[in-house]
Amino acid sequence: MTATAGPLLEVRDLHMTFGGIRAVQGISFQVAEGETLGLIGPNGAGKTTVFNMIMAELRPTSGEIWFRGENITRVPTYERVKRGIARTYQVPQPFGEMSVGANIRVGMAPDDIWKLVSEGADHAAEADIGRSVGFSDEQIDMLPSELAMGDLRRLEMARNVAVSPTLLLLDEVFAGLTLREIGQISELLVEKKRKDGLTYIIVSHDLRALAPLVDRVIVMSFGEIIAEGTFDDVVRDEAVRDAYLGQ
Amino acid sequence: MAIDRETLRYLGWWLAFGVLMCLLPFVVGTGTLRILIFAHFLAMFAMSWDFLSGRTGYISFGHPFLIGIAGYTTAILSFRFDVPIYYSIPAAIVATMVGGTLFFLPALRIRGTYFALVTLAFMEILYQLTKVVAPKITGGTRGMSGLESIVTGAVNNYYLSFGIMFVTGVVLWLLIRTRLGIALSAIRMNEEAVRSTGHNTTKLKLFAFTVSAAVSGIGGAFYVHYIGSIAPRGMFEINFLFTILVAALLGGAETIIGPIMGAYFLTVLLEYLRPVMPGMERYLLYGAIALVLYVVRPEGIYSIIADAGRKVQEWRR
Repeated sequence: MTATAGPLLEVRDLHMTFGGIRAVQGISFQVAEGETLGLIGPNGAGKTTVFNMIMAELRPTSGEIWFRGENITRVPTYERVKRGIARTYQVPQPFGEMSVGANIRVGMAPDDIWKLVSEGADHAAEADIGRSVGFSDEQIDMLPSELAMGDLRRLEMARNVAVSPTLLLLDEVFAGLTLREIGQISELLVEKKRKDGLTYIIVSHDLRALAPLVDRVIVMSFGEIIAEGTFDDVVRDEAVRDAYLGQ
Repeated sequence: MAIDRETLRYLGWWLAFGVLMCLLPFVVGTGTLRILIFAHFLAMFAMSWDFLSGRTGYISFGHPFLIGIAGYTTAILSFRFDVPIYYSIPAAIVATMVGGTLFFLPALRIRGTYFALVTLAFMEILYQLTKVVAPKITGGTRGMSGLESIVTGAVNNYYLSFGIMFVTGVVLWLLIRTRLGIALSAIRMNEEAVRSTGHNTTKLKLFAFTVSAAVSGIGGAFYVHYIGSIAPRGMFEINFLFTILVAALLGGAETIIGPIMGAYFLTVLLEYLRPVMPGMERYLLYGAIALVLYVVRPEGIYSIIADAGRKVQEWRR
């Protein structure tokens, strides 16, 4: 991990328009290395759209994205991953016909055809990554269809850990989980941050689960930032309460 | 390439298959060998389709386009311009690989049904072009006949076609057992997720398209020199396309071995039905058999044999 003087990620005046709908309207924020940022807001606020733009899955209508002091606005997804950005999805997206181990193998595989052909898989390393997110040895051979939602979220974490990210974008990471699973995923996030120094941006509707994890929170509504600060400050904010509960 | 014990065991099976097929000309007549020669070429086309469509999920309805590029390139070069076939065949393979990159362009933006239809259009365009553009060179609707043979006699052609198919099959099979095979399968399951694990899927797909085109090119070039003629109607007929697809799917897509099994099954079935059903009605019967097999066992013949092998192993324990 290389320390940078400036922010790890900087989003500058980001806009995204779908036809006549302005999904994101001039979003700007920074994330420091090692920080955990919460990105919250009601449904349709534009949180996932921001993630999609940070990962180059959507090209912004205007605005810039900087990572480690480099303008990556036009850098494709796979190159952003190589630079250290990774994400999970609201609905987990495993490779459905592959075992947990093979899913991790895809994450570990180099983006080099010659190496893909000439170098064999490191099954021990795959199992290590699987175990590091809480999978048992039996689960490493299981198919995603045999896993519970909490395990599918672990699988996404494992696949992301395999690409050795610096910044991890976690989209609705607690959605569909039981209280026990939420506790386990939270512990996993804290553990990974402590060991690997990961930086997180977490989108979640579960504010109770989010609160102990975040250093700072940004609140979005109708594509704009309406509040920013510590968790306690923003939940007391009048505009935030209006956005969530209605005026 | 790291070769594990399981791969070595399978390579033993490949070797046994190779030895068995090499001994076949001592046991069967030339009529059967001629049928098997067609099976070997069909297996080449089905493996080519499988490496692209079975793996990446980009369903091609246009493989005759690739086979046609190879066939016409070597036919025109050798027949019209007296280029020795030792040069015309490699030139045909290279031309098909270039054609494969053309084929690839739509895959940058579309997939699924749309991609399949675009590839079908490629086949149709080449069909029309060969009929109307420079008919003095392509032979127009009549095509070209009297093409030079590479070897003569059923036995020699049998060994040549089997050798090409066998080597191609082993190479493709080894390729899909590497992490490249896993990455290509992952594209079929979720291309966006592959990108988000740091892979340039364009590069991976281009590789799959080029390899697939090369295999079609090898098969197509050798095929036209075996049959000694080429005509647009035979090359770009929908039945030819469906035979390739059915061979791959019936045998077991995504396995490379399956399409070989499918090709043998289909060719032998069609030929042995010929005396009882000399007309096109045998395609109806083969279609019905294919349908039933595909409904009962969508994973194909390969999975039936693999399951039987596993049961035998369990029984021996």
